[in-house]
Amino acid sequence: MAGRTIVVTSGKGGVGKTTTVANLGTALAKKGYSVVMIDADIGLRNLDVVMGLENRIVYNLVDIVEGKCRTEQAMIRDRKLKTLHIIPAAQTREKDAVKPEQMKALCGELAQEHDFVLIDCPAGIERGFKNAVAGAQQALVVTTPEVSAIRDADRVIGLLEANLLKDIHLIINRLNVKMVKKGDMMSTADIVSLLSVPLIGVVPESEEVVVSTNRGVPLVHERGSRAGAAFQKIAARLNGENVPFDDDQDGGFLSRVKRIFGG
Amino acid sequence: MLKAIQRFFRERNSAETARKRLGVVLMHDRLDISPDLLEALKNDIIEVLSRYMEIDRNSIRVDFEEGKEYTALVSNVQVKRVYRNVAAT
Ligand SMILES: Nc1ncnc2c1ncn2[C@@H]1O[C@H](COP(=O)(O)OP(=O)(O)OP(=O)(O)O)[C@@H](O)[C@H]1O
Ligand SMILES: [Mg+2]
Repeated sequence: MAGRTIVVTSGKGGVGKTTTVANLGTALAKKGYSVVMIDADIGLRNLDVVMGLENRIVYNLVDIVEGKCRTEQAMIRDRKLKTLHIIPAAQTREKDAVKPEQMKALCGELAQEHDFVLIDCPAGIERGFKNAVAGAQQALVVTTPEVSAIRDADRVIGLLEANLLKDIHLIINRLNVKMVKKGDMMSTADIVSLLSVPLIGVVPESEEVVVSTNRGVPLVHERGSRAGAAFQKIAARLNGENVPFDDDQDGGFLSRVKRIFGG
Repeated sequence: MLKAIQRFFRERNSAETARKRLGVVLMHDRLDISPDLLEALKNDIIEVLSRYMEIDRNSIRVDFEEGKEYTALVSNVQVKRVYRNVAAT
């Protein structure tokens, strides 16, 4: 069995990579898939707290590549979902403690036994970024509807393509549909046409995200959460399911697509 | 009156402004246009134009402009005089 290795990246910091990894991983595991999430943000470990697993860490990513433990020893199983695991980042090491070839080898090894390997990439385009993308076959680029985040996303897309990682999809996070309607926030269609990368989903700006992070329970566990539902849709699309875009929630994407196809 | 002034100064549609600005910024980023390259481009334009007309070399400007459907490269230069027999030479 060969699973898929997917890196979640952005360029700009704080746009929602870790939130995305936690929710997509959880949603895919809920579908019954075996999932490993790797926190590649060495020195700024966060995926563990977002998942509520911070108390269980013994070994980490750097311990694996340095041969201090077996891969399974550093994998922490989720509290609720048996097929969901995280490999935490090392907190007190430098970004160069892992090399691209080592990441490649680890991702390859994990993909042998799991359906999805999701990599939480650090912000920036330096070493940490290069490590995180080295083992990935596919990339999800996260941006918010802001000028600086979009510009950085464009840079990252260029770098990914230059590294021959061409299977790229876009996630727009923190969209505020009210502001889009007022003309004070770029719409999904605007952003997609600027970046020219296929869209895989739009996540609304939502206080629920903060609450869920406070609790350490990903939103996709919460029934009736709009942001949670958005992540579920993205997971379904990743899984190849045909989930239509909705104009009201996805910030004016459908009308544009219809216009393009003359519908 | 005050309201009208406020309305005038307030960005009516900031999303549109953002989209346009980004279009230009991304174009620059992607082409990775360095000041050197832009300078070379200007010199080439000047050289070509000079075969046909007398121009003010210092007046040349090269910019990217975001239109509705496309991004344009716009170059402006002051023409002093067009040579008469260019076609013959
Ligand atoms: N859709 C959303 N609505 C509201 N808040 C959000 C949303 N998505 C993320 N946030 C908040 O934004 C902050 C940054 O999110 P997150 O840590 O996932 O970003 P990141 O890209 O991983 O950051 P870093 O670059 O530092 O790793 C968090 O406080 C998170 O709760
Ligand atoms: Mg993060």
